[in-house]
Amino acid sequence: MSIVEATIKHDFGRFALDVKLSSDGPVLGIFGPSGSGKSTILSVIAGLFLPHVADISVRSRTVCRYPGGSIVPPEKREVGYVTQDALLFPHLSVRRNLTFAPRHASLDSLGGKRIIEVLKLGPLLERAPAKLSGGEKQRVALGRALLSEPQLLLLDEPMSALDSSLAREVLALLLDVKQVLQVPMIIVSHRASELQALADDCIVLNDGHIAARGKPLEVLAGPGRVSGFDNILRLEVMRHEPAKGITWFNLGNGQELAAPLCSAQPGSRASVGIFADEIILCLEKPVGLSARNVLRASVREVTEAGQDAIVKMMLGDTQSLIAHVTHAAASELDLKPGREVYAIVKSAGCVVL
Amino acid sequence: MLTLRVGALSVAVSLVPGILIGWLLARWESPLRALVQGMVMLPLVLPPVVTGYLLLRVFGRGGPLGAAYEAITGGRIAFTTMACVIAAAVVGFPLLVESIRLSVLGVDKRLEQTSRTLGRGRFGTFLRVTLPLSLPGIVGGSVLTFARSLGEFGATIILAGDIEGETRTIPIAVYSALNAVDGEAAVWRFVAVSVALSLAALMLAFAFMSWQRRRLA
Repeated sequence: MSIVEATIKHDFGRFALDVKLSSDGPVLGIFGPSGSGKSTILSVIAGLFLPHVADISVRSRTVCRYPGGSIVPPEKREVGYVTQDALLFPHLSVRRNLTFAPRHASLDSLGGKRIIEVLKLGPLLERAPAKLSGGEKQRVALGRALLSEPQLLLLDEPMSALDSSLAREVLALLLDVKQVLQVPMIIVSHRASELQALADDCIVLNDGHIAARGKPLEVLAGPGRVSGFDNILRLEVMRHEPAKGITWFNLGNGQELAAPLCSAQPGSRASVGIFADEIILCLEKPVGLSARNVLRASVREVTEAGQDAIVKMMLGDTQSLIAHVTHAAASELDLKPGREVYAIVKSAGCVVL
Repeated sequence: MLTLRVGALSVAVSLVPGILIGWLLARWESPLRALVQGMVMLPLVLPPVVTGYLLLRVFGRGGPLGAAYEAITGGRIAFTTMACVIAAAVVGFPLLVESIRLSVLGVDKRLEQTSRTLGRGRFGTFLRVTLPLSLPGIVGGSVLTFARSLGEFGATIILAGDIEGETRTIPIAVYSALNAVDGEAAVWRFVAVSVALSLAALMLAFAFMSWQRRRLA
């Protein structure tokens, strides 16, 4: 039986969302850059956003047919929804957050105890949300959604607000949720590595349309495949630092790039994807920054793209890099060919393909 | 005691409509919202005696509501304690609604959406999420309404008059005492009571809001 079938069309003005997707479970991944419409799809399925055209079924039950049909309100769709901001109710304890749903599995039931155990929520039950860390909040949000016994769980960038070690922790928990609790999920992410770990099936969104569909390794890995990345750098692996969860790559010209830990051997080559809008540019080398990658670059070309400026740079003689900045930023920094800049990239923003 | 009773009752009768209208003005997306907000805020900008006169036209014996009340119960509204309560409630209502509106605006809509995805309907979400989280505004607005009623004179003197034991609230008593030959001592007593009551109400409200902030921080 199909878990979800959805046809969604909406004209946002700056782009049009037009997708038709389906999933037989267990986990469907939706991949794409920021602004491609990923989160909107989840909002529509959850019943929080009504597009111009929608035809949505969950477990063969029509929850939305618009225009000209019925619309089931969010509280009756039996769809759990977890976002990157855990959105715990601040005036309720963890226990009361977990049991907020009017129909929920009891914490003392077999199912409830399993969820508490898998998500390690036991020690947190009597605490206030304000006293939880980011990872703990995300675990509680997951537990709250699972205890409401949803037919389908929607996860909107559940790890993007977490640092890399917490993100790995939540990723491991989601794998347990998938394997032990066996709740069908749709997970949205702009990090290919997360979907490669979790999803059984994957769609790639670009500008509101499905650009590719298939197994995660087919559509997300390898140079030349549709990945949604503006930059795909083919680099030599220098060394691994497992304690820090990073791998260093050789950029040439004396520079190195830190990316999430991968399994490629030192000396071999791997592809690293970077989104253009995740690169920050500055004119002077910053100090005291949390990002590991502060790369010297030389601007080659600046072109207009709607509200943005596309800045093409060279890292040394052979590696090129593209960044997206606003027109105002390009003007303030006086970005023009020949200008020397520093490109800042978080290691977590790089994806080893 | 009459002043306290009028203050408490004016808050009591205003609370439910104040919460509903405050919520509506915070969440309702319609071009009519500005009109409704303007009408609610009107008593704040009108001279209190004008408000009192308009209330007298409605609740007086010749007014639609006053005549209907008299026909049903045989009693009257104008120049009774009930008139004091109505006058205080009307002039304090904008303060209550605005405080609640701002408080509801401060409640993250995504929390309400989360509540809906967890199975709570609109009313359940309002009771369990919106209302508790906008409590500081409700308490603050109630205190402002109460404090406003302690000082309400213009609308009260027009609608309720000056009847000892029935409608002579502290502000009206001060006015009467000022017009009396040896009234200054009485004036000072009334002023002291008025200041003490207002201060106590404000301190209670600040203490509650501070506690709520610490609880949620």
